[in-house]
Parts: sequence; structure tokens; C-alpha cells
Amino acid sequence: MTDRSPTLFIVSVALVSLLCLGSAQPAVAQPAHPAPPDEQATREAQPEYPSLHLSGFADINFAAQNRNEGARGFSEGQFTLHLVSALSPRVAFFGELTFSPRSDAGTGSPPATGFNAEVERAIIRFDQSDQLKVSFGRYHTPINWWNTAFHHGQWLQTTISRPEMTQFGGRFIPVHFVGALAEGVFPSGGWNINYQAGVGNGRGNVISRAGDAGDNNDVPAFLLNVSTKPDRAFGLQVGGSVYADRITTAGRPDFNERIVAAHAVWQHEDPEIIAEIADVRHKQVGGSLSTSNLAYYVQAAYRLPASAHLWKPYYRFEHIDINTNDVVFAGVPSLDGSTIGVRFDISTYAAIKTEGRFRRRVENQPRTNGWFLQIAFTF
Amino acid sequence: MARALRRRIVCQTLWLALAWPVALGAQPPHDVAVVVHPDVPVDGLTTADLRRLVLGDRGFWPGSLRVTLLLRAPVAHERDVVLKNICEMTEAQFRQHWIAKVFRADTAVAPKIVYSSEMAVDLVNRMAGAIAFIDAAQVGRGMRVVKIDGRMPGDKGYTLH
Repeated sequence: MTDRSPTLFIVSVALVSLLCLGSAQPAVAQPAHPAPPDEQATREAQPEYPSLHLSGFADINFAAQNRNEGARGFSEGQFTLHLVSALSPRVAFFGELTFSPRSDAGTGSPPATGFNAEVERAIIRFDQSDQLKVSFGRYHTPINWWNTAFHHGQWLQTTISRPEMTQFGGRFIPVHFVGALAEGVFPSGGWNINYQAGVGNGRGNVISRAGDAGDNNDVPAFLLNVSTKPDRAFGLQVGGSVYADRITTAGRPDFNERIVAAHAVWQHEDPEIIAEIADVRHKQVGGSLSTSNLAYYVQAAYRLPASAHLWKPYYRFEHIDINTNDVVFAGVPSLDGSTIGVRFDISTYAAIKTEGRFRRRVENQPRTNGWFLQIAFTF
Repeated sequence: MARALRRRIVCQTLWLALAWPVALGAQPPHDVAVVVHPDVPVDGLTTADLRRLVLGDRGFWPGSLRVTLLLRAPVAHERDVVLKNICEMTEAQFRQHWIAKVFRADTAVAPKIVYSSEMAVDLVNRMAGAIAFIDAAQVGRGMRVVKIDGRMPGDKGYTLH
């Protein structure tokens, strides 16, 4: 026994060690000839052109307000279809269609349809390299960060509402732009300098719309947007833009428009901070009238940690100061507003948001208060 | 004596039974190798370069060769490592990032999903400009592994594990 016990012990230790090694060994082995892959999966992964992909966004809303500023009760949001198709390794098409419910549906002659169909974006782009991509089409004007980050996908943005300075159908900045754009990014030692330079039609006869059917004057609109996304502060984006156009509207003199804007964004969710400011100047062509209008907003959100990570409370303050002498912005309201709410992600692709909005249009006048609920999703 | 021997055998069998799963669970996590198509003119990348590639902020290799990003499907160890160590994102944040990326018209091509290491190995060798993340243990001879911050899988300080 005394002779056999150590032997038995050593054998058992060796056996266990061998088994332990054996369990790990297959994973660290270097196979010279990996197993043959699934041929069908391999074939499916090869690129095909054109490769049309369709995705969509939609939202259902509820609103309760003490004054009439927009819809009350339940309402359908925009039904958005997004199309993207690679036409070749370097050429791609992007399209965005929306269907918006009309409050005058069924009225008039012929009766108004229930939904407005709109081509929001239609862009064909040629990618030469990361430093140079050239595109043509209808864009969301890249002089405002929110305007190009979220587009019509309500699910993508944390809040229910967009800042009013970049509201769809709003007039403060030109939300859409028809023309050509060159863009790219230069690493620049880790600063990652992005640029977008464009020329196009600018605002149309109705200043909230782009000149889809052509420019309404002989002065094109120009824009330049430069921003940095430094490697050392992953998630940070800081940039600025300038925009110049001539505005021609019926019954008014022409005005030169100059917009200078800046943004700073921290895109992590803990916290998420977005701040933008824009100054819009109008100078009468051949006249002396010159006005300046300022708008800014600051939004902060924070995705709660651990088991509460589906919740994301947020707050936004926004301010719009419209010069009362500005002829182009006649009827555009000023604003001091706060939005406070919370987003709850019910799944990876759907969220419920609720927010309160407290808005004052004119100093010393009563506020418009409202409570809003939205279910937004992508499909 | 027979009883003692039987007791020893029982004890050692129990030890063996206990040691087996412990040994399995104690496997050190393998490094994830960054593998590129043989024609990709890159020997090394920084973590920041890799992040720009994975998040779609960089779409071309030097020489204007288009990047084809191959990513394992969710739950795979390689994908978890890339999302956590490179992108600093959860799975939900990563998906939202790419939906937004395509929706913004930044890119027309989302990452291609591969469902096994074998498929990743096959495609990265076949598709020009491809980059894939493969368990270092699965990297075969002749595959083009790039250094990350000057380190290869297995080196001290290698970040992808």
C-alpha cells in the first residue's frame, strides 16, 4: 500500500493534468487547413449590385397642451422609408421618403389626400476615397448637426421633438438643400478633420422649402462645414459652418442671407450632450436694412446605469431671438423653452418617450405647456 | 487495505470529476486577431484606426482600396471583444450606430455578418479589402495578421482579448 499509493497519486495527477490540457488544447491549436465554410453563406456575403436595402421609421404620438401649438390627442407621426443601394463599390444611392398626415384631409376640391408624400432626400454619391466623396441631389442641409444626424427617424433621436431652430417645415435655417456636395475626412494626426462643401439652389420661393424645381435667382447658395472628431476624446465632435444665399420671395426685396453656426456634441450616452448655436443675418440687396437673429439650444441626457439602463432622462433648453425688423423672418416666433422627459427603450428597435414642454413666445405672456408621449421605432 | 484503496480511488475520481469543469472554465480567454486580405497594404493599425474602421468612419485602405468589414454575429466572443474594447459600446448601441450611419447616408454598406470563424477565414482571404476578427487560435498559416498598437496577438499588452 505504501508503495502503491504515491504511484496511484502521481498517475491520477498526470491523468487530471492531461485531461485539463486536453480540454484547452484544441482551442490553442493552429489549424493549417480550416474546415470548409458554408458555401451558400459565403456566396451570400459576396457583394451584388445594385443592392437595394429598405428600412423604415414610424411613430405614434399623444399630445395634451393648454394652448393650440400643434396636434392634440393621438396622432400619427411621419411614416419614413429609407432606401439605400450600392450601385458599385464606389457609387451609392440614398433616398428618404416620408408620408405625413394632413389635418385638411378630405377637404377642398379635389379632396386633399390623407397623407403628404415627400422626397426628403435623394442623393447619388461617388466615393473616390475617404478624403473625397462627391454627391448630387437633395439633402438635409449640413450646416446644423441635428439636421444631418437624425433626419426623419424619430427613433434615432433621444427626445420626441427636434429643437425648434431645426424643425421640419421651420424657417430659421434652410432644412433642405438641392445641389452638389463634396465631403471627406483627413486624419490630421488624430484630429479627424471632416469637411463638407456645397453649392446649390438655396431657399425657394417659400423660404421653408428648398428650390427643388430650380433656383429662383441667379445667385447660388454656398456652404462649408468643418468639424473635428479627435481620437483622444472618442465621442466628441466640435465644428462650425457658414452658409450664404440670396433669398427671393414674391412682393419683397431680395436679401442676402449669411448663416454662421457652431456645434459641440458628446455622443456617449453617459452623458449625451448636444449644443448648437446659429446666427442668421439678412441684408437687403441694394438697401440698408440689416438684421441678425440668434438661436441656440443645449440638450443633456444620461442613460442610467446597470439594471436601469433602458431609461434615459433628458433635458433641453432652447432659445430663439427673432429681430422684429427682419422682413424675411416675419411671422417666425421667438422662443424660450424647456423640454424635460425620459426615454425608455422597450426593445433594441423601439422606444417609448414622454416629455413636458414649457414654452414662452413673448416675454411676460403666458407659457404654452404640454405633455407628450411617443412610441417610435424602426423596422 | 482494500477499503483504503477503494476510498483513495473514490476520492481521486471525485477530484477528477471536480477538476474537469474547473479546468474547462479556467481557460484563459484567447486574443482576437485582426486579419486582413493579403492585398491590404497595411501591417499595423492603432486602436483608433481600428475604431474608425469598425464604426464605418474610415471606408478605404491606402491606395483607395474599399474596406469590407466582416463581423461575427452577436454573442460570438470576437464580436463582444470588438464592441467592448474597440467601440466602447453595447450591442444595442452598436446596432443603433450602424442604423444611424446608413440612415445618414454616410455609407451604403453595413458590416457583413459572418457566422463562424471558418466563414470569416474564407471570406477575408477571398474579398479584396476585407478585414475580419478571428480567434487567434483559429488563425492559420499564411493569413495576414496586422499588429494593433505595435503588438501581435499573444504579446503582452495586446488589447483585443
